[in-house]
Amino acid sequence: MTAQLSTFPPRRRFNLSAWRKIRANLGTLLVLLPVIVVIVTPYLWMITASLKTRGHIGEPPYLYPTTFDFSNYQIALSSAPFARYFLNTIIVAVAVVLARVVIGGMAAYAFAFLKFKGRDVLFFLYLSTMMIPFYAIVIPLYLIIRDLHWFNTYQALIVPRMVDAFAILLLRQAFITVPRDYIDAARVDGCSHWGVLWRVVMPMSKSSVLTVIIFSFLFIWNDFFWPLLVANNDSMRVIQTGLQAFNGRYNVEWTYWMAGTVIATIPPILFFLVSQKQFISGLARSGLKG
Amino acid sequence: MAIQPLYRKKRWGDLPTALLFLLPSIVLFAAFNFYPMIDAVRLSFYKWDNLSVPPVFSGSSNYVKLFSDSRFWISLRVTFLYTIGVTVFSIVLGLLLAVALNQRWLALRSLWRTLAFLPVVTPTVAAAMVWILLFNPNFGYMNTFLSYLHLERQTWLSNVHLALPVLMSLGVWRRLGFTTIVYLAALQAIPQEYYESARVDGAGIWGTFSKITVPLVAPTTLMLITLGLIDSFLVFDQVLVMTRGGPADATLVVGVYLYTSAFTSFKMSYGAAISVVVLIIIATLTIMQWRLVGFGGSEMEELK
Repeated sequence: MTAQLSTFPPRRRFNLSAWRKIRANLGTLLVLLPVIVVIVTPYLWMITASLKTRGHIGEPPYLYPTTFDFSNYQIALSSAPFARYFLNTIIVAVAVVLARVVIGGMAAYAFAFLKFKGRDVLFFLYLSTMMIPFYAIVIPLYLIIRDLHWFNTYQALIVPRMVDAFAILLLRQAFITVPRDYIDAARVDGCSHWGVLWRVVMPMSKSSVLTVIIFSFLFIWNDFFWPLLVANNDSMRVIQTGLQAFNGRYNVEWTYWMAGTVIATIPPILFFLVSQKQFISGLARSGLKG
Repeated sequence: MAIQPLYRKKRWGDLPTALLFLLPSIVLFAAFNFYPMIDAVRLSFYKWDNLSVPPVFSGSSNYVKLFSDSRFWISLRVTFLYTIGVTVFSIVLGLLLAVALNQRWLALRSLWRTLAFLPVVTPTVAAAMVWILLFNPNFGYMNTFLSYLHLERQTWLSNVHLALPVLMSLGVWRRLGFTTIVYLAALQAIPQEYYESARVDGAGIWGTFSKITVPLVAPTTLMLITLGLIDSFLVFDQVLVMTRGGPADATLVVGVYLYTSAFTSFKMSYGAAISVVVLIIIATLTIMQWRLVGFGGSEMEELK
């Protein structure tokens, strides 16, 4: 490549001069900014509307606040237990994340390092659950929860979500890159498989574990259909169903709506901003749904 | 990949350990994935539209009814339209956005990237609430915007022709950050020399984009198409919150039809028949994805 290029007469290198840099920047921004404006508009509108005086939502029709009526937030916070919705969501999310890492890690270990009859068939069976959409199982699942008398319990929101084939797959892919010698050495030193899993394999697969954690968290945070079916008691609602119920109670009280919506939107965005780097690289690496 | 046994065989090899390690996941998969799936298929052959009466076997009658049910066909059509629209727009816009964000000298690059990604982490119900207000016929910002342009104000969500596009706009908005990030990763893997030699050859912006960028990210595009089809086909949250399938079934996606059949009219077995059809469609799409792209995207290259 280099040899070939050097047969050309010397050319100027492709370092952009300051002027060209500005021009190229302007050109790109011309394409980029309209899209960014469209992406950001809903947030601006949401914040602006949440600060309007009751009954004057579109007046004046700007995308930045001209009034600052924080009473909408007071009313939203005092009329719906948003703190409770957050707490419920976090409890469910933490439990599901933990279960997926522990149970998924154990399964991934077995598929990556243990030899037993039927391993490949079983692995394929596990993977095949990835093609079962939630709609295909939701009715019997609802009946199971009914028969267990689990309506309006944390179990109902947690237990059916505790295992996820994609998490097992991601972890197994990370595990098989752990050098065999490390595992053999630990085993020779008398470490049990359980010990190898937690002291050798898991610490060496941190980035995949983090990816699993982030995705499970996001999944629970965005969950709506399932909590809508099995947890309709106000003290058991999660953030998505809580927000929906709040808006149902305050139909056409738009300024309250938007205050509630802002409240529900801030925590996941903060979570994202804090973990942004891992978030984006994990997402790009796994190519998983968002 | 062949895996050698570590230690010499005790009689059962690793089987006892493996069973112990796999027990929780086997139990959970069996109870909450395989059993419900089989039960859904079973239920779809019963007649059961009253929860307090036990189901009665009715052969294929649910399916016969389903395939002559015009609302079911409408729901499939609406879902396909939604799916294709959201997938195509999010991929095209995502690639453009990624190319723009991939310029190394671009000012405030990471700010733009962060902003583009925010919708992905915004709860769907919250986004749907904002959309309801943005598209409110009286005071919504969209109509204000149309007035600025001296265009006619619209009724949006109560208009049979506009309700679905409004929902699609929310779908694209939420998905765009994801396609952009995945494309960005793909673009960063393209060696810079390709672009440099293309410029030596005198290729313009469009030339490098169509001759180098698009072909080199083709595997990513394929993955995003299949993932997008599967994800968008299962849309539910925003439709339930914004339109509940209306006006006049213009936004009746399969998910909402299943929900109203099974959980508001309590025609459980009819709902089960719908869910079996959804299962077949999604399983076909997933197998297609596995054949074309691998199990979960780039991570799976080694396993194929």
